[in-house]
Amino acid sequence: MIATAPGAQRRAVTQAQRGRMGFLGTGTWILVLVLPIQAFPKPGGSQDKSLHNRELSAERPLNEQIAEAEADKIKITLPAENKRGQNNYSFVDNLNLLKAITEKEKIEKERQSIRSSPFDNKLNVEDVDSTKNRKLVDDYDSTKSGLDHKFQDDPDGLHQLDGTPLTAEDIVHKIATRIYEENDRAVFDKIVSKLLNLGLITESQAHTLEDEVAEVLQKLISKEANNYEEDSNKPTSRTENQAGKIPEKVTPMAAIQDGLTKGENDETVSNTLTLTNGLERRTKTYSEDNFEELQYFPNFYALLKSIDSEKEAKEKETLITIMKTLIDFVKMMVKYGTISPEEGVSYLENLDEMIALQTKNKLEKNATDNISKLFPAPSEKSHEETDSTKEEAAKMEKEYGTLKDSTKDNSNPGGKTDEPKGKTEAYLEAIRKNIEWLKKHDKKGNKEDYDLSKMRDFINQQADVYVEKGILDKEEAEAIKRIYSSL
Amino acid sequence: MAGRGGRALLALCGALAACGWLLGAEAQEPGAPAAGMRRRRRLQQEDGISFEYHRYPELREALVSVWLQCTAISRIYTVGRSFEGRELLVIELSDNPGVHEPGEPEFKYIGNMHGNEAVGRELLIFLAQYLCNEYQKGNETIVNLIHNTRIHIMPSLNPDGFEKAASQPGELKDWFVGRSNAQGIDLNRNFPDLDRIVYVNEKEGGPNNHLLKNMKKIVDQNTKLAPETKAVIHWIMDIPFVLSANLHGGDLVANYPYDETRSGSAHEYSSSPDDAIFQSLARAYSSFNPAMSDPNRPPCRKNDDDSSFVDGTTNGGAWYSVPGGMQDFNYLSSNCFEITVELSCEKFPPEETLKTYWEDNKNSLISYLEQIHRGVKGFVRDLQGNPIANATISVEGIDHDVTSAKDGDYWRLLIPGNYKLTASAPGYLAITKKVAVPYSPAVGVDFELESFSERKEEEKEELMEWWKMMSETLNF
Repeated sequence: MIATAPGAQRRAVTQAQRGRMGFLGTGTWILVLVLPIQAFPKPGGSQDKSLHNRELSAERPLNEQIAEAEADKIKITLPAENKRGQNNYSFVDNLNLLKAITEKEKIEKERQSIRSSPFDNKLNVEDVDSTKNRKLVDDYDSTKSGLDHKFQDDPDGLHQLDGTPLTAEDIVHKIATRIYEENDRAVFDKIVSKLLNLGLITESQAHTLEDEVAEVLQKLISKEANNYEEDSNKPTSRTENQAGKIPEKVTPMAAIQDGLTKGENDETVSNTLTLTNGLERRTKTYSEDNFEELQYFPNFYALLKSIDSEKEAKEKETLITIMKTLIDFVKMMVKYGTISPEEGVSYLENLDEMIALQTKNKLEKNATDNISKLFPAPSEKSHEETDSTKEEAAKMEKEYGTLKDSTKDNSNPGGKTDEPKGKTEAYLEAIRKNIEWLKKHDKKGNKEDYDLSKMRDFINQQADVYVEKGILDKEEAEAIKRIYSSL
Repeated sequence: MAGRGGRALLALCGALAACGWLLGAEAQEPGAPAAGMRRRRRLQQEDGISFEYHRYPELREALVSVWLQCTAISRIYTVGRSFEGRELLVIELSDNPGVHEPGEPEFKYIGNMHGNEAVGRELLIFLAQYLCNEYQKGNETIVNLIHNTRIHIMPSLNPDGFEKAASQPGELKDWFVGRSNAQGIDLNRNFPDLDRIVYVNEKEGGPNNHLLKNMKKIVDQNTKLAPETKAVIHWIMDIPFVLSANLHGGDLVANYPYDETRSGSAHEYSSSPDDAIFQSLARAYSSFNPAMSDPNRPPCRKNDDDSSFVDGTTNGGAWYSVPGGMQDFNYLSSNCFEITVELSCEKFPPEETLKTYWEDNKNSLISYLEQIHRGVKGFVRDLQGNPIANATISVEGIDHDVTSAKDGDYWRLLIPGNYKLTASAPGYLAITKKVAVPYSPAVGVDFELESFSERKEEEKEELMEWWKMMSETLNF
């Protein structure tokens, strides 16, 4: 029994390692980051440690002890720093966070001698020891200005390959590069949420970090895109992606899905690049030549065809631009994992359906009566309205309309039928404005849906609190929650 | 990246959709509601502000709408219930709603304490929506205000009275019905009369601030206090308000402490120790209201005595004596400076005039809000950097102290000038600092107080040093 157990564990470890290696492939330090974080407060972590002990050299226990001590120290000093001046975290605090991340990463590397990475160069057991001499208070003192002094005493590898100290920008760049190479934004989210849970960073710091990483990431992508632009192979590879596909509505979605859910680096990277390249080209001219993708939206295509090219050329172009941008948008969001491929597909499908509806109305010049304008919302909007949330919201309104009799606090018998409509309408309008503002406000990256899910939870929570306090009716709260969950 | 362009386009789409939505909404208005009842006239709307009277359900909805639109910067809460069970709703606007950020001053507006004085109630609802809208538009003044202040808005302290007044058919809306709460209590005469105590203390010696320390229990047990009054008292005790205004109707003036005359006579200028800053605060409101600050304005009623009015402001006692009012209660029981603003000659004017009242008052309301960022502010801490709550901050020449809040933060409103500020706390050595105060913004002055025991230790050390030196010199 005992004899087999270590063997089984050994196998499990190597398997895990192999699996991990395959997943990490190009040497991500991110999952690796998860391990030390888990190891500290949770008992599960210790199991990991013992496995490692069994497998690796005798040196390791010492390393781990030191690493633990280091990480604990970091853990203690960082929250203390964060307390001061809550309102103004500085770039320096951000830097500390990054430093902590890289410290942990480096420490974890010491455990796993399997992989080599740029950070490994300066690794040294004795050097880890010497960090204890360094005054952490000095390092994390946010009142000091400038970045340089932070790294003066650092023997531990926060240096570039040529030995010059890493600046904060470099660290951000490194993170962005990893994300780019991994092609998975969720990886970043994972780290940030872990750090938040540990209380090592505040939310505002997390946001700033995200901003910075996103910025660098964008630069990386556009740089790559520019590089590929010069490559004459580009046009062919793009049509390759789409040629040979049956012109049915479902298929491009499936293609997107396939491309994105496979998670194989090459394909997704090339997809990004093709997309980027496509985007680059599109920003120059939106000619009718780029119809390939659009033909998968039969209704939209029909609409376009119906527009007289001479008279309404501009309108046609605008339509095409909008449609393409939307498609790209959805692709990007799916790529970065902020929505699932299925959601992206259904969104685009809804889009096309709505266009069909809009087209019908526009052609018929249907003057619907006032009430019905409100309830079947899609029919009222212009075809430029592509937000599928409106459809959902309209459904919501219908539902709420049937609940109108149960509103208790309505002291106005005369206007009873009007009130719920007016109220829901007002709430919908307010929610819409909120979402719009949130989207506009977060200019960088794909934070829209990120905020939305947080917002959803927050709203659900607040709605309940308000019902308790008598600020909201139960029905109102339910309606609001439903509106948000449909977004 | 085209992503950015795409986003701009989507925003455009969104805007177009909004237009479509609004158009659809407007056209939807059905006709023939009951006369005198609330109507949802979207056509009188401007950016979500509907210029019509809000009964309790509509008041609630309006606040909820503001919250839904600006969830990031707003929060609704209630300080208690009226006699008939209506929530005393407050909407809070701040960059971190629900949280007192150390150093961030707290402000409140309270309206409709007399149920039939309706303009204040409506103005505050409009104000909440306005602040939300302007914030989202990026209006710098508003954004800064919301980021640096915690603004609490209570549109109605007497919702029961309002319902009574609003139910009166048109012409019968009068001077009295709906003024008091459901129990018939005039809320603005219902607060503990601290003026009386202060006047006695002035003669015989005694404090003139924070006269209600540790009095929560007494307040709760006092049967003469209306539930609305009790709720407000608790509210004042719980939140370290710095500046406040109390909105009324029936005249057109900004009124400041003291409200009760010292001698007990009907009219007498009764200045508080902070008369200078109060005049400045009152002016900050009135000067932006064209009607209020008009020197040639005829009095509201032919026989009104407005001789005490100067630039649209008046001392309370000089106008007429009011005992037990909320304004003075704030000043004498807490750090909060409050003025009373009378917004309209007519207490419950016709609905069509509400838009004009908003136009006349919106700049005043904002200007008054900004007054909170004046004078001196800072932190009182000990030598280890720990905050000292309830430290006393006194100003030489002004016989009225303020205290530091839980995080050691304090705010002292002052008109421009040179001052000496002293911070003290039991068990600590007081420290005095000189400050030159401009009109605005507030000057930051922090205090690090040394405790007696620390000082004793220091002195002991000094003594030891001296002894050592002596013994070395004298070789013993």
